[in-house]
Amino acid sequence: MALEFISPEGLRLDGRRPAEIRQLRANLGVIDKADGSATFEMGNTKVIAAVYGPHEVQNRSQQLLDQALVKCEYSMANFSTGDRRRKQKGDRRSVEISLVIRQSMEAAIMTHLLPRTQIDIFVHVLQADGGTRSACINAASLALADAGIPMRDIVASCASGYLNNTPLLDLNYLEDSGGGPDVTIALLPKLDKITLLQMDAKLPLEMFEKVFELGNKGCVAIANYMRNVLLENTKDLAFARGVVKV
Amino acid sequence: MVVGLSAAERRYLTDGIAQGLRNDGRGLYDFRAFSVELAIIPQANGSARVRLGATDVITSVKAELGRPQASRPSQGRVEINIECSSTAAPQFEGRGGEDLSLELSRALYRSLLCNNGTGPAIDLSALTVIEGKLCWNLFIDGLVLSSDGNLLDVLAIAVKAALSNTGIPKVEVTSAAAAEQEADFEISDNPDDFSGFDVSHVPVIITLTKVGRTYIVDATEEEESQMSSAISIAVNSAGHVCGITKRGGAGLDPSVLLDMISVAKEVSKSLLSTVDAEIMAAESRGDDQM
Repeated sequence: MALEFISPEGLRLDGRRPAEIRQLRANLGVIDKADGSATFEMGNTKVIAAVYGPHEVQNRSQQLLDQALVKCEYSMANFSTGDRRRKQKGDRRSVEISLVIRQSMEAAIMTHLLPRTQIDIFVHVLQADGGTRSACINAASLALADAGIPMRDIVASCASGYLNNTPLLDLNYLEDSGGGPDVTIALLPKLDKITLLQMDAKLPLEMFEKVFELGNKGCVAIANYMRNVLLENTKDLAFARGVVKV
Repeated sequence: MVVGLSAAERRYLTDGIAQGLRNDGRGLYDFRAFSVELAIIPQANGSARVRLGATDVITSVKAELGRPQASRPSQGRVEINIECSSTAAPQFEGRGGEDLSLELSRALYRSLLCNNGTGPAIDLSALTVIEGKLCWNLFIDGLVLSSDGNLLDVLAIAVKAALSNTGIPKVEVTSAAAAEQEADFEISDNPDDFSGFDVSHVPVIITLTKVGRTYIVDATEEEESQMSSAISIAVNSAGHVCGITKRGGAGLDPSVLLDMISVAKEVSKSLLSTVDAEIMAAESRGDDQM
């Protein structure tokens, strides 16, 4: 028998309701040497992101004369998953995730303001419990903001899925491997534009609309949380520089 | 990381060291303050995060049951793997961090376990469950998140802290089978039923970095950029030298070497007591949270 993902009381395996996000936690400025950095936690998923740049382009042949070059690398710590595996950098999965993170961040960065420069985004997964690419995009977004790189909007990302005839928000690892569809969305919330959309498995079109709508709402909620974190951080900085008195 | 220092800054740094005072106000043999956090990776058997200045590392210990090697039937196996995350420096992107990762892993292994596995840190025979058939293998993973010099020393502290935090479940052998048969065993699932590690023998590593004619302890990245060579010396609580690794390009006068070892021994006394105190403090903080 398949695993029951929703209890008769309507609660999920980790006690959440179907349209509930896991607990979010974010910190800015966690790596002293980087220009911008952030950790982002969604439940047990924890990632750290660092941004270096804008700086001179390392490989001159890649230099773009009218915009900034954005680079991204995604990696997973050996201890991030339950069973320890030695992972090589640059396997197909990480290359793909690096690419989608880069694309969704490029949509937000005002690259035309920084011609002939390079921006490096590095994300490292410390704990993986489903939704790592969403958490990475959120962390990268905060790190870019922390680095003071001009952006049109923050990028917020969230996954949603469909199990036991119910649309579910922010899947954890168990739900992710439950065989149902998994829709990952990244959103520019103020511009209301999608920068990333990935889905696997199959789903009727009417259902997709609902699941997609739910994921969208999740992104908006996450964006609000991220905005609050940035605001708090800015307040702290203003206080530290003596601009405001508390 | 490429440290961009101007000629004047370089001069300021090296002259300061020659006069016994460093840029951050420390003396030649002073360590920076560091903090230890324990049990930060829930799915590992033990883990620790150590921050020394802007250097930030996480280590985890995972124990897995396996077969002992045929050549050493009464010993478990320990693997040490260090990874330099690209978050620490853009140079570590792709395969860029591999050389340093390997150098650090090997240096740690040499200091803690020795090449033939008879090192001072971990008693490998204590990892045996059934001789020749079943033993615990320990996988020690380190991750460098942020680097401001002195990585090896910090990693050694982090490994010691992670081991102090490690619990290995008790294994009950249900049938003492004959020599050729596979043994039946049960791993206790009672979370309180585990054995810990005695880390009092685990050495600390002290890296003496030679800048100009003098050498310093706990060099920052800027200071490391001006080094000619460095010696990493592992010292345990008994004052025994457990391992030596020379790093860096330039040659070293043998007479200076003996001086360096005695300095390392001296520094190790206070470092070991600080490490123990920090681990104790982290443990009691963890108890409060529960």
